[in-house]
Amino acid sequence: MERRSFLKGFGAVSACVALVPTIASAADDAKKVTGPNEMSVESALAAITGGKPVTPSSKVSLSAPEIAENGAVVPVKVTVESPMSANDYVKAIHVFGSKNNNSRCANVYLTPANGEASFATRIKLGATQDVLAVVEMSNGTFLSAKQNVKVTIGGCG
Amino acid sequence: MRKLSICAALFSLALCGVLNAEEAMSMNAADKAMYAEMLENNPAAMDIAEGEELFNSLIGQEAYAKVLGVSVKDLPETIAGFPRMLMATPKYDFTFPKTMRKVVTLSQSLQMALADRDKKVLKLESKEMVKMTAYVKSLANDLKTNIDVKANKQMEEMVVLGKHIFEERRGGRGLSCNSCHSADIVGTRLRMQELPDLGAPATASASTWHAYRMTQSAMVSFDKRMQQCMKNALLAELPLGSKEMVALEVYVTNMGKGNTIQIPGLKR
Amino acid sequence: MKTLVKIKPKDYNIGDIVKIDFMAMHPMESGMRKDKDTGAIVPAHYINEVNFFFNDKMLTKMVTWESLSVNPVLSISMKVSAAGTLKVLAKDNKGESVETSAAITPKG
Repeated sequence: MERRSFLKGFGAVSACVALVPTIASAADDAKKVTGPNEMSVESALAAITGGKPVTPSSKVSLSAPEIAENGAVVPVKVTVESPMSANDYVKAIHVFGSKNNNSRCANVYLTPANGEASFATRIKLGATQDVLAVVEMSNGTFLSAKQNVKVTIGGCG
Repeated sequence: MRKLSICAALFSLALCGVLNAEEAMSMNAADKAMYAEMLENNPAAMDIAEGEELFNSLIGQEAYAKVLGVSVKDLPETIAGFPRMLMATPKYDFTFPKTMRKVVTLSQSLQMALADRDKKVLKLESKEMVKMTAYVKSLANDLKTNIDVKANKQMEEMVVLGKHIFEERRGGRGLSCNSCHSADIVGTRLRMQELPDLGAPATASASTWHAYRMTQSAMVSFDKRMQQCMKNALLAELPLGSKEMVALEVYVTNMGKGNTIQIPGLKR
Repeated sequence: MKTLVKIKPKDYNIGDIVKIDFMAMHPMESGMRKDKDTGAIVPAHYINEVNFFFNDKMLTKMVTWESLSVNPVLSISMKVSAAGTLKVLAKDNKGESVETSAAITPKG
């Protein structure tokens, strides 16, 4: 009787131990799932800037929540200080989720007719990460702003 | 080797614990303001627009006002008072031998209007019904919920039944609605999320559903939301339109009586 | 694809800057999500291009990706230069395209 219960207990322990590698490999497999447009923020940035420097600037204001209770809908708003005149305007606003499988969210090409360089949308964030806005000015320089968004899972359903 | 990795895992867990303790637990005021701003561009606005087309083609305000026994002018004020007692005909409810008094939800009153016009009665859970009801409720936007649980014997009974259902512990975990939504634990957290006071103006539960649920990327009705809450708390889901579900809606709506109707809402 | 364009505020004059909000009902499938029932990966299906025109002149051009939320909302600004029509042309990666218009009617 005693031996039996001991064996049972041992069985349970070894089942747990055996489970460990299974979990680990499942996690590895999960990492392998990639989307059709997988691209890191570094590659995406290089494609846009052609290697030109990107300078963090207070002219670019990026608002996103510090904590998002739902990663599927994260509001993001970018505004850039600019006269938006024919020879001095914001050419483009690019928004990235730095750790998303495809880091690119939107590439927005503006014209002086916008009157104001602003763009707002809602993005999906797979995990806690930096949201990055990179702005291309009409003189060919690149400015940026970023904010960390913590994604939590809240509540009940 | 294994021992070492377990130690490392435990150490990193402990480290996480320390880091988490220093972090803010949930959204700050600025975060909340950002989400509130999103109400302006609620994707459910497109569902409401579709609901308007459906309502106008299937029922129309005049026919609906007739079923409610009011003038078109008084429709918004009447809509703001649902669930309410109406006269249900055998045409609507074949189990009724004759016209009978029945406490109904807004969607059920639309079912009655459809039956009255010999149209196919849409199911309460159908997408069309959800959109149409949301539109009709939005006609009462900016008015205050004016449910009257003392209006008649039927309403008095329903609010008593609703309170019973709200407080009855059932399901695998022995939970009731009250387990998470009683006044004394409101504001504490469930998986990071603050538990809402269903009656408070800040939550305004009954008057801000139908709402776009961000977790589901779809517009959801109030009774459906309550079903989802039951499901997650391991309670058997009360069927939509059942006497018990209507009673619960009466009770919870009455908790937030006087709150301003704003349809569609936007919820996590 | 159902869409909606809103101009805010309701009343504006020539020279004012208005907000343009474009909304679409779209699943924005990432191509990474598994179907709950079959376990098969749901193919990517997302809006990849949204172009805004004012009186047929390009105002803003957007390339969008699957990381936008389901039923996305896109907002930009426009300086009102004249009365006319704002046209939004949205396309998804399966080739569906929708054109949505809104009248620009400045008061003065």
